Amino acid sequence: MSALGRKGSLIPFTAASGFMMVLLIAAMAFLACFSLAGALGTTRIAGTWTEGLAGAATVRIPAGEEDRARRISLVLDVLRDTDGVADARPLSEKDVADLLTPWFGGTPELGELPAPSIVAVTLDAENEPDPSVVQARLDGASAGAVYDDHGRWRNRAAQAARAIGNLSYWALGLTVLAIMAGVFVVVAIAMSAHKSTIEALRLAGAEDRFIAGLYQKRFFWLGALGGLIGSGIALGAFVGLDTLASVRSALPMLEAPYYWPFVWVGIVVVCGLIAVLAARLAVLTTLRGRA
Amino acid sequence: MILFENVGFRYDRGAEVLQNVNLEIPAGSFQFITGPSGAGKSSLLRLLYLDEKPTAGRISLFGRDVTTLTRDEIAWFRRRIGVVFQDFRLLDHLTAAENVALPLTVAGVREMAYRDNVTEMLQWVGLGDKMDVRPPELSGGEKQRVAIARAVVASPDIILADEPTGSVDPDMAERIMALFVEMNRLGKTILLASHDVPMIERYKLPITILKDGTIDDGMGHSGRGAAA
Ligand SMILES: Nc1ncnc2c1ncn2[C@@H]1O[C@H](COP(=O)(O)OP(=O)(O)OP(=O)(O)O)[C@@H](O)[C@H]1O
Ligand SMILES: [Mg+2]
Repeated sequence: MSALGRKGSLIPFTAASGFMMVLLIAAMAFLACFSLAGALGTTRIAGTWTEGLAGAATVRIPAGEEDRARRISLVLDVLRDTDGVADARPLSEKDVADLLTPWFGGTPELGELPAPSIVAVTLDAENEPDPSVVQARLDGASAGAVYDDHGRWRNRAAQAARAIGNLSYWALGLTVLAIMAGVFVVVAIAMSAHKSTIEALRLAGAEDRFIAGLYQKRFFWLGALGGLIGSGIALGAFVGLDTLASVRSALPMLEAPYYWPFVWVGIVVVCGLIAVLAARLAVLTTLRGRA
Repeated sequence: MILFENVGFRYDRGAEVLQNVNLEIPAGSFQFITGPSGAGKSSLLRLLYLDEKPTAGRISLFGRDVTTLTRDEIAWFRRRIGVVFQDFRLLDHLTAAENVALPLTVAGVREMAYRDNVTEMLQWVGLGDKMDVRPPELSGGEKQRVAIARAVVASPDIILADEPTGSVDPDMAERIMALFVEMNRLGKTILLASHDVPMIERYKLPITILKDGTIDDGMGHSGRGAAA
């Protein structure tokens, strides 16, 4: 019996509205991928900065003072005597010159420049000293030196990165909401076009969840297809675009490309499920409202 | 099985379509409702298949007050009621066979289980060769027969038929009536609304006459449906 053998949809969905739905979800999934990448990337950058800079500090002895060597050894004595300092080591003139290269270009002749002397301090990670205490001790030895644990810069940069990361999560959440809202509206409109069909189904004894199931099935596939296309383009852009190289380097997942396919499938399934949820909500609220 | 007690009904803010209707239809009975056009026959059936709720009085169906049913319960009750609508209400995008199978599909019955049943039903109404045809390509009488097949395919406890022989020739009308008699013999309760008084009278079954929304027992006031 071919009429029953062919699984015709009980609801006459149109291809055009399905295409538009896929387009909308694809665009949203694309944006969601970038939000997600932004969130993951910045969080990681913030982490790297805090970790990389933790446990290190510098003491700067201003240039122009006489008796540089004596002052350095004074500073070293104070530091080695301080709780929480693991190691203190003066940077050679060459090290300092290297640090300055980005600002001066080439290798500057330090003799010609009023460059400060710098002592690199390694802190005991478990027991970092209070910066103000260290500064006070240095002042006590009247070494005329400035202690800097990079705390302020570190915190500010990391905070900025985290703020961007948080915003990206918000953007991701809003994108998900936008997908849901889009699906909700499209389902509600579709239902008014299918009004007589839905009524016939109800009169034949269909429960609301049966009717919701018909829409959920349809919108799962539209959502998944949109997700597949949108995230496919986004992931392709990450891998392929040179302009995104810096984003790439910040993304941990790119270091382990073997699980990319799983991430992709995950995004696709999640898009489908978001569409299912929104479709269910739309159908159930519309049906109850009609009753 | 079906009990109307002083039932009144109106559409939204319209005039009263039914007033003070009292009616008892015991399980396993076969009754007719007749009356002039606009008397409220279709509206009365509508209350029975739970498309509308009474605005006055009480209707009890399968022992339950219909106003207390949840949406899910309404769906389950409808599975026990087969309806032939006056305007057929077939789905144009489904084939005749898919239309007939609808009550089974929505109840979650697997196609394997109902396939033969649907085929048999369509053959019974003389449409064995039109199973794959969609309603827009069927004649009025053919549509009506698809609607009848759909109403009885799931073997419901109650069959409500609104002018089920209105669009078919006398031979087919006989055949359809024979189908209802057969269903009644199997224990189904049947309520049939029709204008066709000569046909109704041939069956010597209880007849309820509706006039202007009230039951006319020939004595000028409402009462129980009188036997013909
Ligand atoms: N959906 C509706 N909204 C408002 N009024 C309606 C609606 N359907 C029917 N009516 C009114 O209710 C009254 C009864 O209509 P109903 O269809 O029940 O009559 P009927 O006895 O079935 O007539 P017919 O023999 O022509 O089918 C009519 O006056 C009609 O105008
Ligand atoms: Mg009518």
